[in-house]
Parts: sequence; structure tokens; C-alpha cells
Amino acid sequence: MINLKVVSPQKVIFEKEVEMAVLPGAEGDFAAMPNHSPFISSLRPGQMAIMSSNKVDESFFVSGGLVMLKEKVCEVLVDQIEPLSDVNSSNYQQSKTYQELEGNETALGTFEQVVNNPPYK
Amino acid sequence: MPNLKELKNRISSVKSTRKITSAMKMVAASKLRRAQELAESSRVYADSLGFILSSLAGNTKNSSDLPEILTGRENSKISLLIINSSDRGLCGGFNSNLFRNAKKWISDQQGQGKSVKIMTVGKKASSFYKKTDLDIVASFEDLNSNDRQLQVSEEIKNKIMELFESNEIDEVSILFNKFVSAISQEPTYQSLIPLSNEEAIEDESEVNNAVFEFEPDKNELLEYLVPRNFLTQIYRSVLESSASEHAARMTSMDNATRNAGDMIDRLTLTYNRTRQAFITKELIEIISGAEAV
Repeated sequence: MINLKVVSPQKVIFEKEVEMAVLPGAEGDFAAMPNHSPFISSLRPGQMAIMSSNKVDESFFVSGGLVMLKEKVCEVLVDQIEPLSDVNSSNYQQSKTYQELEGNETALGTFEQVVNNPPYK
Repeated sequence: MPNLKELKNRISSVKSTRKITSAMKMVAASKLRRAQELAESSRVYADSLGFILSSLAGNTKNSSDLPEILTGRENSKISLLIINSSDRGLCGGFNSNLFRNAKKWISDQQGQGKSVKIMTVGKKASSFYKKTDLDIVASFEDLNSNDRQLQVSEEIKNKIMELFESNEIDEVSILFNKFVSAISQEPTYQSLIPLSNEEAIEDESEVNNAVFEFEPDKNELLEYLVPRNFLTQIYRSVLESSASEHAARMTSMDNATRNAGDMIDRLTLTYNRTRQAFITKELIEIISGAEAV
């Protein structure tokens, strides 16, 4: 199990033990698992998926950020994050994240895509 | 002899003042708790970011590899000072302490042959510096909610990046009241450009243990990290300043409430004495009138 800690500039969003987390790294998606080599990467807008035994348990949209991985800790510093369980294709435009990203076309496009057709299901 | 009616009015007006100040004290106390929580919870992000930045910068042996915005320009001529004041008054020496401190700092900088530009946060600073002949590059007001605080921090960050890139400023410092405790706040400077490396030194031992792989490469990461770091530092100072403001207001309103209480006691004493004097005088008049008959 790896300790996944998701932090926004304002607060700690959550912290928990997970089997695997898939993150949208700047140069491609990667999976954070225990004993990954120490690694720092920036994130591109995309889906963050928490998985166990090849199934997605929880899924989020992140608008960008940073991730630091070492041993059994995975720290994700996000700009904006939206749990995908709360939004669907009809109401995602009302979400706070959507409004905060106003003007950022690429991120909004990705948000729409992730809501309608997430890469990890 | 003081007029009884006048005294009575005085007492009731001081009483209502006391009600207001004690209410303000309560409000400040509850806002302080909230502001402190916010400052606390934002610390996690700032610490992690500082750690990542120092492991990045620490890994780059030659400091000339680092971008100017991190290390500062060699011949810096123009300093920018960001002053974090409050929007409202009635908070004791909170703002005046800050401005006095800033004045000293500004004349220090000018003594070193640098020119100084100002950026103000909060209504008090903008109205104060409007009267001086300093160059104000931007003013931000109405930081009344947490979202607004974050938004203002973002705007300040964009502004300083823009000014730095167009060579209008060479150094950036931020001045705010650091929250030490509920009864003590101290004006503190923090240098944004060049980046103060206190944190880098603190974490050095830890950094050496783990050699990180970076993706994308260091320079691209730094490009993302540097503005992020500005934002967190500015946001942090705004939060500290707001916690300090509420603390300062709480203490000064507590004092005001106590002073009002003392004043009411004194006035009541005078009122009672005067009333007694009137009664005695009337009695004397009656008795001496009866004696005369």
C-alpha cells in the first residue's frame, strides 16, 4: 500500500492508503505504487484514478500540479481537483472547478473529455 | 458643578460604545480562529513545494544554471515592496507599525542607491501611500474572503512576473505582520526575488538521501515551480497578515472595552456625587429657610 496525500494550496484534500494511483504526468500517465524510484513530475490536466485489483475505486479530474513520489509516499500538489463521482456530462459545467478554469481552453477540453469518457473506468 | 443630564447622556453613550467594542472583540476572536486554521492548513502545500524546489535547486550544482528569477539579477537597481495591510481600521498599531517599518526599509534601500516601487494590499496601505510620492505599481483591496485572498495572490504573482520580465523591477520583497501569538505580531520581510534560501538549508540533509528523477527536465519543472512558489509565498503572507489583523483587533478591542468600563465607573461616581451634592444643597436651603422663620 502507498500513502497517497492530495494537497491543494488551501488545504489537505485527503490522505489515505491505496494500492495504486494512476496520475496524468506531464510526459504520460504513470502509476504510483510502493517502492517506485524517487520521482518528481509535473501534471497535465487529466484523470487521477485510485485503483485496486485492476478496478478504479475513485476517480478525479485534476487541472494540473506536481507530484512527488518516494518509497511509500505519494504527494500530489494539485491546482484544482474535482471528484468525478459528483459530476456527470450534464452538470459538470456548474462545478466550481469548471468556473475556476474559465479561459483555460485546454484544461476545460480535457475536463469535458474526462467527464464524458474517462481513460480509466 | 457638572450638569446631571449631561453626565447621564455621557454614561449612556460610553455604554453603547462598550457594547460595540465588545461585540467587535468577539467577532475578531472567532475570525482569528478561522484565519489561523486556514494558515495552518495551507502550510502543508507550502512545505511540500519548498521541499521540491530545494531538491531541484540543490541538485543543480552550478547556480548559474538556475534562472534569473530564482537567483536575482547581479546589478539590482529597482526593488519592489509588497505591503500587506488591512482593509479596516480599529486594530491598534497594526498598520502604523507596518508603515513605520516600511519607511525605514525604503530609506535603507534608497541609501544603497536603489529605487523603490510599492505594491499595496488592503485599503489602509493604498490610502496611506497615495499621499506619498512613492511609485505605486498596483493596489489590491477587499480581501474579505478566502477565495478572494487566493485570487489576489494570483494577481500579485502575475504582476510581479510581468514586471520582472520587462525589467521594471529587479528585486521583490514582501512585508507583512507575522502572527507570533494572539497578543504579538511583528512586521516581517520576506524576499521573493532572489529567493531566500532558509528552507533549502534546513532540508539539505533530507534532500541528499533521495536523488529524484525529474520529469520533464529540471528547467521545465522550474518554469512551472517558480510561479507556483511565488503564489504560495504570497498567499501565505496574506493569510498570516489576516490572522495578525484579527489578533490585533481582538487585543485593541479588549483594551477599548476595558477602558470604557473604567470610564463608566468614573462617570457614575461623579454622577452620584453630583446628585448627592444637589440633595445636600437643597436640604441646606430648606433648613436655613426654616431657621430664618
